[in-house]
Amino acid sequence: MTESLLTVTDLVKRFGGVSALDGCSLKVARGNITGLIGPNGSGKTTLFNLICGLDTPDAGQIVFRGERLDRRPPHAIARLGVGRTFQLIQVFPELTALDNMMAAARDGSWGQSRARALELLAFVNLTQLRGERAGNLSFGQQKLLEFARMLMSDPGLLLLDEPAAGVNRVLLERLLDHIQALREQGKTIVIVEHDMNVVMNLCDWVCVMDQGRLLLEGPPEVVREDPRVIEAYFGR
Amino acid sequence: MAQASSDAVPRLERRDARAFMAAGGAFATLFLLALPTFGTAYTQNVLIQMFTFVALASSWNIISGFTGYMSFGHVAFFGLGAYTYALLVTRAAVAWPLAVLAGGVLATALAAAIGLTCLRLRGHYFAIATLGLGEALRIAVLGWDDVTGGGNGILLTPVKELVSSYYGMALVAALAIGLSWAVARSRFGLSLLAIREGEIAAGMLGINTTACKLWAFMLSAVVPGMAGALHGRFIGFIEPASIFAVLITVQMAVFALFGGRGTVSGPILGTCLLFLFQEQVWARFPYLHLFIFGLVLVLIVLLMPKGLLGLLEDRGWIAKGVVR
Repeated sequence: MTESLLTVTDLVKRFGGVSALDGCSLKVARGNITGLIGPNGSGKTTLFNLICGLDTPDAGQIVFRGERLDRRPPHAIARLGVGRTFQLIQVFPELTALDNMMAAARDGSWGQSRARALELLAFVNLTQLRGERAGNLSFGQQKLLEFARMLMSDPGLLLLDEPAAGVNRVLLERLLDHIQALREQGKTIVIVEHDMNVVMNLCDWVCVMDQGRLLLEGPPEVVREDPRVIEAYFGR
Repeated sequence: MAQASSDAVPRLERRDARAFMAAGGAFATLFLLALPTFGTAYTQNVLIQMFTFVALASSWNIISGFTGYMSFGHVAFFGLGAYTYALLVTRAAVAWPLAVLAGGVLATALAAAIGLTCLRLRGHYFAIATLGLGEALRIAVLGWDDVTGGGNGILLTPVKELVSSYYGMALVAALAIGLSWAVARSRFGLSLLAIREGEIAAGMLGINTTACKLWAFMLSAVVPGMAGALHGRFIGFIEPASIFAVLITVQMAVFALFGGRGTVSGPILGTCLLFLFQEQVWARFPYLHLFIFGLVLVLIVLLMPKGLLGLLEDRGWIAKGVVR
């Protein structure tokens, strides 16, 4: 296996009596698209939240490029090069599309940031709408804007929480093309996704979670055939 | 959408807006600078109060308009400035301009202390904590009567001329406008707006939300501290009930929200229009003026939550994000 960019070891997170993560360990290989699948409540989004610093783990550790991420605040983790999109879109509704992008610029001059923002807006075909308030854009356009905004700081690791949810076929094709393009640029991507076609076509590696742990992992063709996956989703 | 209406109505675009605002601002500045040479005492009195509220509303806007964190106790900084000034001048014979600066410094220090404890958390804790802040300070001043004079207040040496108060308060208002302009055109200001629009997403984009909020809160307290000091000097007598009046916080919030939160010109516009309106109503309907004022507030919140500037933008009369 190639070098891992992100290593999660024995991660535990409890909410009251519920263990959302119960000793979860996994590795994400550099330059891969890793799919994270599993039934509802298996801990996928919780894992994302812990990696991003939105929550702190009760036990275990998260290492990214040799640095511990657990117990760092979200902005520090973002600045180490972790980008994320949300299951429910989180654009800044009252700001224009361009200001949404500019708010994500951390270093470089104003002019450089603006040039990059326009370049990325062009990448997702939103150039025409740069002066429009983000809240007035369609659902799909907001999704693309959030996606482009995450790329402003050029993160090395992208965490995408259900990028295909609620997206029509045409837009989905475009989103998938963008994700492929990013892999070709050398980015490492982790996707939480329920659409199995997306997972099987896009991912190099699939991790299946169940009850807060890694159930199994492997190449998509192997995982698809494994009876334990079906069992995790539908019960015995 | 907005596209259709913009074709029908001539829209204020970026270049025109800048020229218009620069010309208007320059004219207003010259007029106001020259006013003491020809204006009546009444006019100057009204303008001093208007400057005070431009300073307060613009400052309040830095924390509450930009970051969306409602400060319901901003009068605390105003009152603290007034008392700092009064005590330094009467007990320590400090020169008045220095005492005004001291008011600003102490108010900022108080904001730092409150912000460090309350701004780590997201959401409504801050609003509740600040609501208590103004009242707590009022009661403290009332109780600590051997220093503050308690409910009897502090009588200051009367200032006979209006000119120093006029230019002093004008300078303080200009400082508040300058601060909010600097914030609005900076990366920091955009970070504050991002926090208002979605704090979790802002953090995920690398914005240190706690530090930004703390800086914004401190910046929003400097000028109110100085304005409180000058106000005390201007009226010559301060006592807890009027200097820590909840109404003062309500006024700064309403003026800023009416004009347009998170913009530079909104609080100025809002103060000018509503303050004059308030004066008219107060003079004509002495018994009903609070009721009428309240009614106007309800209408603003219901009909134009984004303020005047937001309304004009949504109507397509000015291009989005041009007037800041």
